Amino acid sequence: MERRQANLLLILICVVNIHWVAGCSSDASVTITTNIPNPLIEQVPINVAIYYNDTMSQYVHSEDLGSYGNHTIDLRSQISVFNRIFHAMFESVIPVDSIDSVQGRGADAVLAPSIEKFQFAIPEQTRKDFYEVWIQYRFELYGADGSLIHSWPVTAYGKANRLNYGGMQSEKSPALREAATWALRDAAASISFSFVRQDVVRQWIQQRVAS
Amino acid sequence: MDPTTRGIMMTKRIHIAFILIAMHWLTGCVNTTIQEVREASTSLNSKESIVILSRKHKTSGETEDDFVGCVSNKTSGGEGALSVMSERDFMDELFPWFEPRTAPLNMRELTYVISRPLISEKIQAIGVRYLVWVEGTTERSEESGALQCTVVSGGIPACFGFLSWESGSDYEASVWDINRGITVGKVSSEASGTSIVPALVVPIPFIARVQNQACISLAEQLKTFIGA
Repeated sequence: MERRQANLLLILICVVNIHWVAGCSSDASVTITTNIPNPLIEQVPINVAIYYNDTMSQYVHSEDLGSYGNHTIDLRSQISVFNRIFHAMFESVIPVDSIDSVQGRGADAVLAPSIEKFQFAIPEQTRKDFYEVWIQYRFELYGADGSLIHSWPVTAYGKANRLNYGGMQSEKSPALREAATWALRDAAASISFSFVRQDVVRQWIQQRVAS
Repeated sequence: MDPTTRGIMMTKRIHIAFILIAMHWLTGCVNTTIQEVREASTSLNSKESIVILSRKHKTSGETEDDFVGCVSNKTSGGEGALSVMSERDFMDELFPWFEPRTAPLNMRELTYVISRPLISEKIQAIGVRYLVWVEGTTERSEESGALQCTVVSGGIPACFGFLSWESGSDYEASVWDINRGITVGKVSSEASGTSIVPALVVPIPFIARVQNQACISLAEQLKTFIGA
């Protein structure tokens, strides 16, 4: 009986160790399916057409971190995040397939967000407790005639503390997902504030409203 | 010793080991210190609530999410419980004004935020009266000793050695009154303790639950401070 109990205990310890070791070089594939709360912001009294290029609307980041595994982050839900914030920011939002297809659609301007950079870091790389995601966007505002009014960068950052996920190797996907979710949320917050703080944009809005 | 007697003794030892492991939840000495600085009176009627938030704009030293959750749970339960809105619900209701990038860092910035009609209407609608900003962390230090585990003759796994470490929790909560636009005071909670893991075949951890104790102490103090 005692030998059987000892053997069962040994098997249990081996199973736990295998689970622990197997997670050391795990790949991670996360799909971000998030949305943002209803923004509490004042509307800008203009009608805006929104153009997303293919890179932006189909963005999936894949990166091989060597011994830390392959990582894939599907960021396509960012479109719904931006749509929600734009619907709160502007009087009306019109989706368009190109910057030139705005004529006769009643839009005052075309806003074209795009991704310039995407980076992420995991605790194994940084020796810190956080999974981190950085996204740099480029926003371009065009007039209804297609002329560029202004272009500016918008950065977004999100992080997730590994300790909130138990510190186990199985934490990687949920923690990365959380970090990317916070980054999208940060992007939405950032654009909602930064749009009217661009001097060129503010002057253009004032002229538009006055006319 | 005959096999039957040996078996009985082994079973008894295993039972004793399990009892000692269970006792680690009850032992582990923790010293706690609470301080309070009051700058104005406080009161909370039945229609008002508080929200407990953590600072998220720093890249290091961020307060643990589960600590903030613990303080929220303990403050909203037990004797003298207060009405507490969850941090996430509050951030969602006031989006994007209390995000890591945008949250007001001082009373001047808070006054600017709540002066906006959209924000003040929402805050009135959700009934939040006090914001409680929690900062601090729990850290582990002064680790000493060693623990080694192996498989002895008979295929039985065994651990031998002794591990110990110090844990310290240091948290401070600043209480802001939204209605009056002032800081009404601060409450701080410090806890420290020593955890040990002696091992003679079976490791027996005695963990000092400093973070949990700091949470309980801070929550009780907040109930007293705000509910006064």
